[in-house]
Amino acid sequence: MIRRVAIVGYAQSHHQHNMQKTREDMVFEVCKEALHHAGILREELDTVITASTDFLDGRTISSVFLSMAVGAFLKDESKVEEDGTFALYYALMRILAGTHDVALVEAHTQGSTFNPHQVTFYTLDPLFDRQIGVLNDIAAAALQARMYMNRYSVSEEHLAMAAVKNITNAAENPCAHRKMPDVSVEEVMSSKVFYDPIRELMMSPISDGACALILASEERAKEITDKPVWIEGVGSCQDAYLRDRNIQNLDSLQMAARTAYKMAGVKEPFSELDVAEVSEKFAHEELMIYEALGLCQEGQGKNLIERGTTRRDGEMPVNPSGGALGADPVCATGLIRVIEAAKQIRGEAGGYQVPDVRRALAHGQFGICAQKNAIFILGGNGS
Amino acid sequence: MGYVKEERPTTISVEGTWNIGSYHYKGSKLMEEYVKGLKQKKLIGSFCPGCGKVIVPPRNLCGRCHRIMDRRKIVSNRGTITCFIVTPPMEKGKLKVLGMDPVETGLIKEGEVVIPVFVKFDGSDSNTDTILLNVDPKAVHIGMRVKVLWAKEPQGALSDFEGVEPV
Repeated sequence: MIRRVAIVGYAQSHHQHNMQKTREDMVFEVCKEALHHAGILREELDTVITASTDFLDGRTISSVFLSMAVGAFLKDESKVEEDGTFALYYALMRILAGTHDVALVEAHTQGSTFNPHQVTFYTLDPLFDRQIGVLNDIAAAALQARMYMNRYSVSEEHLAMAAVKNITNAAENPCAHRKMPDVSVEEVMSSKVFYDPIRELMMSPISDGACALILASEERAKEITDKPVWIEGVGSCQDAYLRDRNIQNLDSLQMAARTAYKMAGVKEPFSELDVAEVSEKFAHEELMIYEALGLCQEGQGKNLIERGTTRRDGEMPVNPSGGALGADPVCATGLIRVIEAAKQIRGEAGGYQVPDVRRALAHGQFGICAQKNAIFILGGNGS
Repeated sequence: MGYVKEERPTTISVEGTWNIGSYHYKGSKLMEEYVKGLKQKKLIGSFCPGCGKVIVPPRNLCGRCHRIMDRRKIVSNRGTITCFIVTPPMEKGKLKVLGMDPVETGLIKEGEVVIPVFVKFDGSDSNTDTILLNVDPKAVHIGMRVKVLWAKEPQGALSDFEGVEPV
């Protein structure tokens, strides 16, 4: 990269089903807290990038009323639709361009305002898929799960094991929404079926939540903190629309990861990464993500979950925070993964801290069957 | 939805709807305070202890100071017009004020013009949008002094504040 850029502060809300806060107050609190965490003032921000969707916010150009809450009053500001990792990407590019030095990145969704699953129906092709009327994100995920499971002999138990790992991890995370410390494989497998094989506890919960992080150029980062978390690699990739795509693999995630690994000089992700925080909206996606990230061979994701390799105390911990199954304030979910990865590097993850994290991966996704993916490789300890 | 509506040389036109249902927006309790004030014929604004600005109707945040505006201030019901527009003559169904057609409710007669204005109430620092009533449109000017026209029997609703009229 032409400049080094670091994460120097962050904050997230206590994600929950129906937060008793307005969208503006929720966003204000995380932005204020992120500035406080970095130890800087709003006046030191050069640019502010936010992420949400107009559909889920229930208004068009939905950032206009939030400019004050995010600290963008009379400042450079822009918004991306979809996941917060894409807002982070945008902010990173602004700093790399040399025109800005300090950015605040914010993302949020209040799922209680409007059912996110209902919104996904409107991402479908209006000429065919919407007229047929059988698809939505959960139905598509179920089709994807079945294809993947058939191809690689993955059982429903494997999916339930991934759910149990993340949901029990979430119990240690004060910001997570779904906390079930004693949840069992049997309980997951007997939870309500939405579309076979997708059951309630294999799906991310509908959450209200927000997060914000502060990004700074190398010079400013070193002034702001002794513990900068450097962005060592990034990659983003978009797959084809559902109908024209192989949904049993996450090809766009694999390509995004390869780009990020190359930039960060990661050759053996399994041994070189200390922790990964990924956006698994459904339990089967977690196994598919292991494979796309190169943590195992194609079709071997089930082995990692069977052996406990990705548990918090395993060889390659994935989602010690509980991941998206622990809380899913849609547009914030990927950016929360970045914050969780940064927390691990800075040793600020409390009860779910993984020891000696020097390099971490964070993943954000958007679209039906994870059509679009972004990867960030983060490093600490002056690496 | 579901049928070809019109044949064209190179494309087809397919009807589709965009009725995504109702939202449950989370509102601030501030609006309750505001309408309670209206019932007593008082205009309540939020006061920022950081910069001293007063915003009517109240809002929760001051963007300048990036802080909660946690104090209230009652401002004068008299103020100054900071800008205005004059509409073409009104017809039924052209305009909705507070969800009601002002021609149907008799607030404005058919053929009359409507004058939307921004008013800076004395003691406030904001533009409050409302309509100017009981005035000759030719006499309206920036800087004109106005006062709130209250409903005859305030109910504790936004409609208690019907508009402004010249002092």
